[in-house]
Amino acid sequence: MNDVGADMTDTAITTSGLGKRYKRTWALQDCTLHLPTGRIAALVGPNGAGKTTLLHLAVGLLAPDAGSVRVFGQDPYGNTKALAEIGFVAQDNPLYRDFTARELITLGGKLNRNWDAALARTRLSDLGIAPDLAVGKLSGGQRAQVALALALAKRPRLLLLDEPIAALDPLARHEFMQALMGAVAETGTTVLLSSHLLADLERACDYLIVLQTSRVQLSGPVDDLLESHRTLIGPRTEADRIPGVAEVIRVSHTDRQSTLLARVDGTLPTDPAWTVREVTLEDLVLAYLAKADTRATRTAWEVKA
Amino acid sequence: MIWLTWRQHRKQVLYTAIALAVLAAVMLPTGLSMHHVFTDSGLAACLAKVPTTPVISANVNTCGLLSNEFQRQFNGMGFIAILFLILPVLVGLFYGAPLVAREVEHGTHRFVWTQGVSRRRWAATEFGLIGAVALVFATAYSLGVGWWSGPLISNGGRMGQFVFDFEGVVPIAYTLFAVALGVLVGAVSKKVLPAMGITLAGYAVVRVLIEVFARPRYQSPLTASFSVTSNDQFNTPDAWTYSQGIVNGAGKLVQPGAQMTCAGQSGGAGTCGDQLAQQGLGPAPFSNWEKYQPASRFWEFQGIETGIFLALTVILVCLAFRRVRGIS
Repeated sequence: MNDVGADMTDTAITTSGLGKRYKRTWALQDCTLHLPTGRIAALVGPNGAGKTTLLHLAVGLLAPDAGSVRVFGQDPYGNTKALAEIGFVAQDNPLYRDFTARELITLGGKLNRNWDAALARTRLSDLGIAPDLAVGKLSGGQRAQVALALALAKRPRLLLLDEPIAALDPLARHEFMQALMGAVAETGTTVLLSSHLLADLERACDYLIVLQTSRVQLSGPVDDLLESHRTLIGPRTEADRIPGVAEVIRVSHTDRQSTLLARVDGTLPTDPAWTVREVTLEDLVLAYLAKADTRATRTAWEVKA
Repeated sequence: MIWLTWRQHRKQVLYTAIALAVLAAVMLPTGLSMHHVFTDSGLAACLAKVPTTPVISANVNTCGLLSNEFQRQFNGMGFIAILFLILPVLVGLFYGAPLVAREVEHGTHRFVWTQGVSRRRWAATEFGLIGAVALVFATAYSLGVGWWSGPLISNGGRMGQFVFDFEGVVPIAYTLFAVALGVLVGAVSKKVLPAMGITLAGYAVVRVLIEVFARPRYQSPLTASFSVTSNDQFNTPDAWTYSQGIVNGAGKLVQPGAQMTCAGQSGGAGTCGDQLAQQGLGPAPFSNWEKYQPASRFWEFQGIETGIFLALTVILVCLAFRRVRGIS
């Protein structure tokens, strides 16, 4: 590998102030991210949060309206050289439905300079997928597997998957994730996959990006995020000044108690009135989504926070 | 890329070829019988002897009897020929409109545009190959229809609307235009069915506008006239006649659509001119008058019209290229 600077070799995706607008609405705004290589990152957020827009910008289907996006240091828009490094499975696994899996593998070979047809064939044969049946006649789960095999046959350094399992039944979801994890474990490929369902990704991912209302709410390695957040339960209080708490993400009150999800700095609160618990990934994501939601609603209603 | 385009459209090409073959099978016998009758009845030989000047003596045989007989026998054929008019737009609807729209509708553009081939190359190959297929079909169609309608044209002229439109090189330009229009509309609407509808309407509008407003102005029309008292007749059955009628001595068209000759009238050749003057139609002498585009300008008109539609095609293709860049 030639010397192109550390930030390019160990960052798969870098975005800076990235934004995309449809007519007057921003689908993605002020997005600054660094996805390190070798990670399996979950891009989480509700429908319409901008996940698809971010992925389309990263794979060069869209040109940004603001800021920039780089994949391994290259601008992906209209750049076939950058595209050669990226495997992409779009939402609903679009494939030419009247093509057979065998024909799709042939097609990939004609459209890509680097193409591991043997890899795709082996994967599909291991999964027992009929080679000469039109893929439109396969089950949803099998079609997703074909789409994944085609993306992997590019031998990409970055794999982008847009809601790959949203339309699948639980068994197919499990099988898909298993196939995905198995494939990338061998190659060290960086993965960014979006979902509005966290549960499916929780076990697989070691990096998290939370997107809500077209903005990045949270991003970082899962371990660090879990380490830096805590649930605090204590006497009912309105005060934000609790020693050790850097930021309160979400707060709920009962008559006598307050429950906070907070970002903490190194020193945890020592006040015995407060019970400190570790957070789960789900708590964390929900807290950040709820926070963004309230803020957005307040802005829309022009109410001061 | 070529493989992909072929694999995507091979069924369509096959069906089109079958449809053209069926059409040829129907047209071949009628065409042969028309050609036979045209020659065997002596109409062909007779027409060849008619002079080409726009006004000739009424004594010259313009093959009217044979011509009417031929027309009576193949009366329905002219209407079949009109059906040929819609074939170019069908190619636009079924090849052009779905080209981008179906990819977007099925989401497959996100698959094919994220492989190692640029969008520009994808568009160039798809547009180019489909354009080439359309060109081949349109040429075959044009040659076939040209042969089939030969006798009808020789007997009726090729400058008039409809006949001008399905013969020569213009059908090829129309077909390419229809395909390009379909591609652009499909790339803008991103839905196959609306794209087909808009393409159909757009094609019809452009064709009518060009035909009604532009084509009559490609060249200034010619005029021909002969005095009502003379023993002449018009000899422009194959021309595109704009208007005709009787003009008075001041050059004013006084009886649009009418034609009159005094030859053979009782009271001498001068009388019908006097009658017209008595009706208050102005000063004598009166003449039969015609404004027309002669058949000899057929290829010139074909060339101009082809040029216009090819230029429109180029513009539409460029716009479609630009549009494809903006789709995500």
